[in-house]
Amino acid sequence: MAERTVPHAYPMSAEYEFANPSKIYDQNFGEGISPGDILTPTLYHGYYIRPRVNKQLDRGVSEVTLNHHKFQVFLDVCHFTPNEITVRTVDNLLEVTAQHPQKADRHGFISREFTRTYILPLDADPLLVKATVTHDGILSIEAPRTGKEVKAKVIDVKITCQEEPARQGGSSEEKSQS
Amino acid sequence: MEGVLVIRHRVETPVRYQEYFAEQDFEACRLNHCLYALPGPATAVQTKNTETIKNTAEAEQKCPKKGKPKFQVLLDVVQFRPEDVIIQTFEGWLLIKAQHGPRMDEHGFITRSFTRQYKLPEGIETKDLTALFCHDGILVIEIKTVAEN
Repeated sequence: MAERTVPHAYPMSAEYEFANPSKIYDQNFGEGISPGDILTPTLYHGYYIRPRVNKQLDRGVSEVTLNHHKFQVFLDVCHFTPNEITVRTVDNLLEVTAQHPQKADRHGFISREFTRTYILPLDADPLLVKATVTHDGILSIEAPRTGKEVKAKVIDVKITCQEEPARQGGSSEEKSQS
Repeated sequence: MEGVLVIRHRVETPVRYQEYFAEQDFEACRLNHCLYALPGPATAVQTKNTETIKNTAEAEQKCPKKGKPKFQVLLDVVQFRPEDVIIQTFEGWLLIKAQHGPRMDEHGFITRSFTRQYKLPEGIETKDLTALFCHDGILVIEIKTVAEN
């Protein structure tokens, strides 16, 4: 937990760190399991679950690192070849789409598709985003940050007061009706 | 399209089996998928089912090799909900389609889908298959065991 000694831009609380982890696991999907991969059940949050052998800690990870100079994303895309992956930015969103046609793996035939959207920091230039895929199937996306604070456009909206309708006229009408 | 296979929910809540786990060897519970089935629409034969679960569990323990079905598919569907998964059979193939729309997670939004295909053994149809969605994210599809009593 060395990361915790880094000054935090947000209130340091366990809830915050659990809700916004920089690394999330278990992002590979559609995997087949053989009975031998299933391990002895363990108690987890009051339920018995069975851990799996194929759940390696360093695979299927999505990791976001953000510092003053750059925004960087690591995403495991080991099921896809580089030309099956598209990375694009839409305003301040970074979209990673990957799709592979039906292919055989050790459990049968499978086709997969996913779209993952990250949110770029406001001072990152979408034109300078760079993406590379490593030999072991980790997609790395880097966006430099200018560090300039984006000035928020502040416009005050004038509030107009509605005049209170004349009460007496209304009440007298009601009376006359009844 | 020969038909759609309905996911079977056998257990009301997984917690019900807490005691069962406590008195059992964990290793013995490893492949008894019924113990992990998600709670679902209550079936009329609920009480009967709990009986059969215990019985089959014991039976499996006694003869773990004999009770083994010849066709079984285990699939990791942790990222999907039961309603995202469609299971179909088509001309001797078993199709498992799982798809979920944009969903928010810790890093933004995510959409996933996959289709998996398995060749079914000869003469196996939709009515012979049973599917179980476990709360630890394992989807089990196997051939119904004939004559449980």
